[in-house]
Amino acid sequence: MTATVSTPAGRHPAGRPAQGPAGHSPRRNTEKRRQRTLTWVLAVISLFTVAPLIAVAVLALSPADAPTLPYALPSSLTLDNIVRIFNVGEFPLWLWNSFLYSAVSVVVVLLTASMAAYALARKRFPGRNALLWAIIATMMVPVQATLIPTFILISKMGGVNTLWGLILPTLANAQAIFLIRQFVRDMPEELFDAARIDGAGEWRTFWQIVLPLIRPVLATLAIFVFLWHWNDLLWPLVVGQSDAARTLTVGLATLNTETASTSNVMAATLVSFIPCLVIFALLQKHIVASITHSGVKG
Amino acid sequence: MSINTRTRNPLAGRHPELTAPQFKPFGAKKARSGEALAGILFVLPTLIIFGLFKFLPIFGAGAMSLTEYSLNGDFEFLGADNYVRLAEDPNFWQSLRVTFLYVAIFVPFIIAVSLAGAVLLDKLVRFTGTFRALLFIPYLSSFVMAGIIWTWIFSTDGPLNAALGSLGMGPIPFTSGPQLLVLLSLAVVSVWKGFGYSMLIFLAGLKAQPAEVHEAARIDGAGAWKSFWYVTLPLLKPVVFFVLVIETIVGFQVFDTIYVMTGGGPARASHSLIYFLFDEGFKFFDFGYASAIGVVLFVIVLILSLIQQRFFEGKDSK
Repeated sequence: MTATVSTPAGRHPAGRPAQGPAGHSPRRNTEKRRQRTLTWVLAVISLFTVAPLIAVAVLALSPADAPTLPYALPSSLTLDNIVRIFNVGEFPLWLWNSFLYSAVSVVVVLLTASMAAYALARKRFPGRNALLWAIIATMMVPVQATLIPTFILISKMGGVNTLWGLILPTLANAQAIFLIRQFVRDMPEELFDAARIDGAGEWRTFWQIVLPLIRPVLATLAIFVFLWHWNDLLWPLVVGQSDAARTLTVGLATLNTETASTSNVMAATLVSFIPCLVIFALLQKHIVASITHSGVKG
Repeated sequence: MSINTRTRNPLAGRHPELTAPQFKPFGAKKARSGEALAGILFVLPTLIIFGLFKFLPIFGAGAMSLTEYSLNGDFEFLGADNYVRLAEDPNFWQSLRVTFLYVAIFVPFIIAVSLAGAVLLDKLVRFTGTFRALLFIPYLSSFVMAGIIWTWIFSTDGPLNAALGSLGMGPIPFTSGPQLLVLLSLAVVSVWKGFGYSMLIFLAGLKAQPAEVHEAARIDGAGAWKSFWYVTLPLLKPVVFFVLVIETIVGFQVFDTIYVMTGGGPARASHSLIYFLFDEGFKFFDFGYASAIGVVLFVIVLILSLIQQRFFEGKDSK
């Protein structure tokens, strides 16, 4: 079987000298046609990615009892479902737990990781290289592999069904340390000499020189640590079995298996997605750049 | 997992000692010990957190896998019994088979979709940012959310079966039918949710390719398809390999979508390795046995990581 090249560009290989005035050359036209085809193909793919999200929004905002998707569009949109999930059941608590799980983790991870990264990149102390090696080595161990011993540890500490038990084990973030360390390592030594000559103490050097300079990488990490916690399921599922420490993902998963109505589940799903969407809308360029440059896995 | 290292000022960056003052000022020894103290203090919170919640559980997993560990903390040393039991447990082999089958479906699928998305975006001149965002958006959702949405899409009275019904077909039991269909449905959900990430990595790889090479291919008369197959793809090979390993590791860790969509069923058709671990640990509270499953997962991921590292070390040391 011979492969036939069927794209317009293929039939008119470049190299053939352009004919006619600019703008009407065959090459220009095929390129225009090709761009139009491309746009349509991408529009169809976008439908595949976005349509399910739009469906969630429509279902969440449809009147609960009226016939709706996929058989008919809702006759009107309402916020009733959203209001209801905030007033009935433990949904607000789950939302709050998810927020704390994510926000506290972001703050503590960023602070402890920058401190450690600074020390590991700039200070000489006994055991430094061994510690760095050990931290990096933990990146090879999938979290699921240590799920059981971590759970036993937390249960021995009395942390099952508590927020601190939920948060504590997720504060060990090797990737954050690794990424920040690269930034701190690349800072010119003169900067620290100057600080030393000016009589800045260790803490002040860290707080007033290091932290402001690593702000870009901190912003990136904040986004990804937040998203990772906000969307995490397995650990919260294991450790937060009662409402006191149940996060949104666990709550959604249980709602979905219970006999909750579609409109309630979709309303809760929609609310859970809004923070992610807001972050993306505000920091899209940052997210795209950080994935393409450093390969952060969220 | 792996991170590209880019040093802006190689001398100042990698070797601070080379740019440090060459003479030793008076009282250098005292400064040195002060530096060590500061270093230890700065690293202390991390040391405690990692010691308790990373290093200890890693050794704990290995140790627990050699015991019979009960909920109240009593344990009995068993040696390799748990591993022997695993080898003889048909449920373990079933979950391993499910996981490998899932990976075999999921990985080529997500690579094809993310590569296609990246190539199209790379060729597009206008609205690139808009389409990139539209294709990336599902990546922000959780697997739980993706599972909920697609459970509805796949359900008997969902839009997909409604469309099939209007064509006089179906209903197709996407999440409760034969194993291959169920695993394919699960893969579709994970691809929908996850391909945006790999797509961006591919896109960066494509943008980094020199335009002259493609120009040369075109002058030689290569069409779009040939040019992609013989020029673009070979140049992209390291990136493809990177994404391949990352997505394979992601594939082996599949759990959330299964938990939400199928509960491991029907009849263990989607009972993956992590699901098996979760069941043994938190349904039967067989913690020692579940730890042994965790160790198996670790070994699989370790082999993949080592392959990746070996490959990238060869690439990076120019």
